[in-house]
Amino acid sequence: MTAEQVLSTIPDADLPEDVEDKKFNFFAKKAADASTGTGESVQIPEAQPNCLSGLTIVFTGVLPRLDRDTSENLAKRYGAKVTKSISGKTSLVVIGDEAGPSKIKKIKSLHIKAINEDGFIQLLQSMPMEGGDGAAAQKAKLKREEEERKIVEEAEEEERRAQEEEARQKRLLEARKAASIEKASHSQSSHREPAEVPRIIPDSEKLWTVKYAPSRIDQLCGNKGQVQKLQNWLSNWFDNAKKDFKVPGRDGSGIYRACLISGPPGIGKTSAAHLVAKSLGFDILEKNASDVRSKSLLNSNLKSVLTNTSVVGFFKHRDENIQHTQNDRRFCLIMDEVDGMSSGDHGGAGALSAFCKITHMPMILICNDKSLPKMRTFDRVTLDLPFRRPSEAEMKSRLMSIALREKIKLDPTVIGQLVQATGNDIRQIINLLSTVSKTQSSIGGEQAKDAANSWKKQTVLKPFDITARLLNAQIYSPNAKHSLNDKIDLYFNDIDFAPLMIQENYLSTRPSDARTPQDHLRRVANAADDISESDRINSLIRSSEQQWSLLPFHGVMSSVKPSSQVAGQISQRINFAGWLGQNSKAMKYQRMLQDLQYHTRLRTSTDKKELRLDYLPTLRQRLTEPLLQGEEQGIQPVIDIMDYYYLTKEDWDNIVDLGVGRYKGELVLKGISTKTKSAFTRSYNSTTHPIAIYKTGNSVGAMVSSKKNVDYEDVIEDDTNTPDKDDEEVDPDKIDSKKDKLIKEVKPKKTARKAKAAPKGRKK
Amino acid sequence: MKRTDEPKLELPWVEKYRPRRLDDVVGNEETIERLKLIAKDGNMPHMIISGLPGIGKTTSIHCLAYELLGDDYYQQATLELNASDDRGIDVVRNRIKQFAQTKIKLPPGRHKIIILDEADSMTPGAQQALRRTMEIYSNTTRFAFACNQSSKIIEPLQSRCAILRYNKLADDQVLTRLLEVSAAENVKFNSEGLQALIFTAEGDMRQAINNLQSTVAGFGFVNDINVFKIVDQPHPLVIQRILIHCTKDRDIDRALALLDDLWAKGYSAIDIVTSTFKVSKTLPGIGEQKRLELIKEVGFVHMRVLEGVSSYLQLCGLYAKICDL
Repeated sequence: MTAEQVLSTIPDADLPEDVEDKKFNFFAKKAADASTGTGESVQIPEAQPNCLSGLTIVFTGVLPRLDRDTSENLAKRYGAKVTKSISGKTSLVVIGDEAGPSKIKKIKSLHIKAINEDGFIQLLQSMPMEGGDGAAAQKAKLKREEEERKIVEEAEEEERRAQEEEARQKRLLEARKAASIEKASHSQSSHREPAEVPRIIPDSEKLWTVKYAPSRIDQLCGNKGQVQKLQNWLSNWFDNAKKDFKVPGRDGSGIYRACLISGPPGIGKTSAAHLVAKSLGFDILEKNASDVRSKSLLNSNLKSVLTNTSVVGFFKHRDENIQHTQNDRRFCLIMDEVDGMSSGDHGGAGALSAFCKITHMPMILICNDKSLPKMRTFDRVTLDLPFRRPSEAEMKSRLMSIALREKIKLDPTVIGQLVQATGNDIRQIINLLSTVSKTQSSIGGEQAKDAANSWKKQTVLKPFDITARLLNAQIYSPNAKHSLNDKIDLYFNDIDFAPLMIQENYLSTRPSDARTPQDHLRRVANAADDISESDRINSLIRSSEQQWSLLPFHGVMSSVKPSSQVAGQISQRINFAGWLGQNSKAMKYQRMLQDLQYHTRLRTSTDKKELRLDYLPTLRQRLTEPLLQGEEQGIQPVIDIMDYYYLTKEDWDNIVDLGVGRYKGELVLKGISTKTKSAFTRSYNSTTHPIAIYKTGNSVGAMVSSKKNVDYEDVIEDDTNTPDKDDEEVDPDKIDSKKDKLIKEVKPKKTARKAKAAPKGRKK
Repeated sequence: MKRTDEPKLELPWVEKYRPRRLDDVVGNEETIERLKLIAKDGNMPHMIISGLPGIGKTTSIHCLAYELLGDDYYQQATLELNASDDRGIDVVRNRIKQFAQTKIKLPPGRHKIIILDEADSMTPGAQQALRRTMEIYSNTTRFAFACNQSSKIIEPLQSRCAILRYNKLADDQVLTRLLEVSAAENVKFNSEGLQALIFTAEGDMRQAINNLQSTVAGFGFVNDINVFKIVDQPHPLVIQRILIHCTKDRDIDRALALLDDLWAKGYSAIDIVTSTFKVSKTLPGIGEQKRLELIKEVGFVHMRVLEGVSSYLQLCGLYAKICDL
């Protein structure tokens, strides 16, 4: 029986006829769909092992009873290949609700068999073992067998090599022992026991991660390209050094004295760095987070090392017959866990990046997250080598050979699950195998699932993941395994950002069971209500009352409840919380308004709210209209008004900035021609203006132009610090001249030129 | 009461009856089984044990270390640091690293063990500093972490360790142990009393035994009334009954009768509201949407109570509103 025969017995799923129409009657369709049975759980049949072998399956849309993970895992467990997109190689599509229109079109155009969930279950029940005797299944079987054979060979090869190595070590040890005994017997005078020979630790006492650590470069899983690049860079390092790091070379790595390997934990970054350096004959000097790496210590310890050469080569045992290569005298500095520099390592990162520019030996830096702000100093000075998580295929043979050597029966399909659970962390998988193997000698599908679950690394979720999970309708369905506590836990992953992210994104979903647009609206309204209520709670928590016991409640109201209302398909990219930006903008406007009110208060006698509402619209008009209408003739009237209200040029910008709607700042500014603008600035700067009230201290502005209206003759010399009479300064000797832009430090060299400029400026 | 004639200082029972060997550790059979095998074979991997308080994390690590190293080496070859010790980055760089470097002659398959209790309270910086130490000295030194939340342990450390999750102890496991202790201490009890102890402990063995001891010390006899007096929280079952009256039967009178009982016993409004909040999170038999609405009402009353309006009327209002949902 072949897969084709079985498939032909399964009815085709109904493909939605009018694909274009789909969006149009979306809600009607939803209503119809909702009536079909959701909720009851499905009995997953026990199928023959590897029965789907040779099939390439695509899952699309929402299956009514199986969730995506379960169904894909199911297919994988029985040997099918699960892909995400439909192509000519796809043997069947399992189609659910809300399948994408483009996918449906593709199914039609490629004439691929499409079945629904019931069909899939029927398929599982009826497929024979090993995928029947169809050609595809046979081929897949052969391929699998070939793979397994190769793995066995590899494992045997490794086993042999390990034994050889052990034997060699033993021989060496014997020889040394003999030598030391001999030596001891020669030197009778010493009372010491014969020097204790270091015990070689047998493999069985090592951690598996040590025992099976890659010992050759080709044993590294994944990232082949990057390892190659690292190798090239390191081997060419001294040639590049001769060229003073000026020639980029073929891959552009020739200009870097250091390289930065980045990537998540457990993917072999440190191993790769060590192996590459070792294979090229470098002596390795390693510093990691367990060493203090503050600026001063780096300077005192490391700087002197940077030009050293290694003498290890001179001490090599003669009997080991190792040729002295040039690199033997060379160090390679591996700086591990660079992002682990913490508060104790003050200035370490900066100092390190400075070393990267001057070092006379290759430096390899390793970190987990290159995007951190503290890592930014390394951006330009290091060759960037991002390591990716190795894929399942890349790890498979390695893991299988370990399992083989340890005599564990490991089901190849299980590896996929382990890889997923650990986030492609090969070290963790090896750790897991080593622990599980203590009690079990075979690891099959079901146990692996349990193991994988309990081994899932629990890390704090990022705001984006929290949002995606909270807005996912599946966790709210009645038969979901998510309790309310689990959802509140999502909130607790990031209590500051989760509410903001929900607030930002709650409008961009299509609620899964909203039947009509009105229903959707009602849900959005409910969610909005809850979010605003949550703000009340938040103010109780964060205010002076500090009622932190309300935190779970805040979680419910700000995140869980609104999401439960609108949860569904997220129809666009999840946006980052806009509140932060808006808030800081609002603060900025408040500050600007405050300044304006402060400056104008001799003329306005009002508070800042009133100023914004009553004065500013008119002021804005009086300050911009003349420039818009009269071009350069308008400049003088505008300056007159500004002087009347004691406004500075900065205030003029701010007033324009505060405009809304038709008078939005940028629109108004666009209306004024560049010529007029610069003429306005010039003529404003060339005259002096009355300043009635000036706050001292916090006024270091970006405005350079306004500094020009200083009377240089009255400026206090920084070194003398004698108070001078100035009608505008209240208490000059208390003002730090560096902080106040009304006072300018006069640089002695420039005084002559500026003094000349000043009288010119004083002409009114 | 029975001890008035012999006033001798008594160890807390949790210490007195702390398991000494892995065989005595209750619960999480599968994991303990694995630990036993490790104890037998040696070559202990680095490990993280995570789980709720009072389920035997620290105890099992100590038992494991003891069984691995035996009397002779236990003192010498273990280094234990918990949250009461300074475990900043400097200690990791100096004390822990030095200990890892020390040479101690141990039988084959045994390693020095560094026990870091309450590891989730270590700063990320200190944890970072452990990373390479764990690898470089792994041939002589192994690490064991105990923590409540494994998510507080940085990912690189998790990746280096075997992660063992301890589950809450089942009620009968707690019960077995309570019976053992009671028998050893000649405690007089009735079954309701033990039930109450188990209920209030929520799978926390330490709390169960502590409460047992307090009840015995205070009243001499373990029954449910005494236990709840000791524990001093409104009986969650009562609260649950109130809520079920409200949601299912919509019978405010019976709900309020129960509330009156609680109020008469002197429980404060805040106790009752927080307990209601906790119970309603897991209240069986209601849908998710309704549960959220319920929690919304409870939460707002919680807010009002915190603001100072901790009156009986608020509670009545709360339950009336819940009936109305």
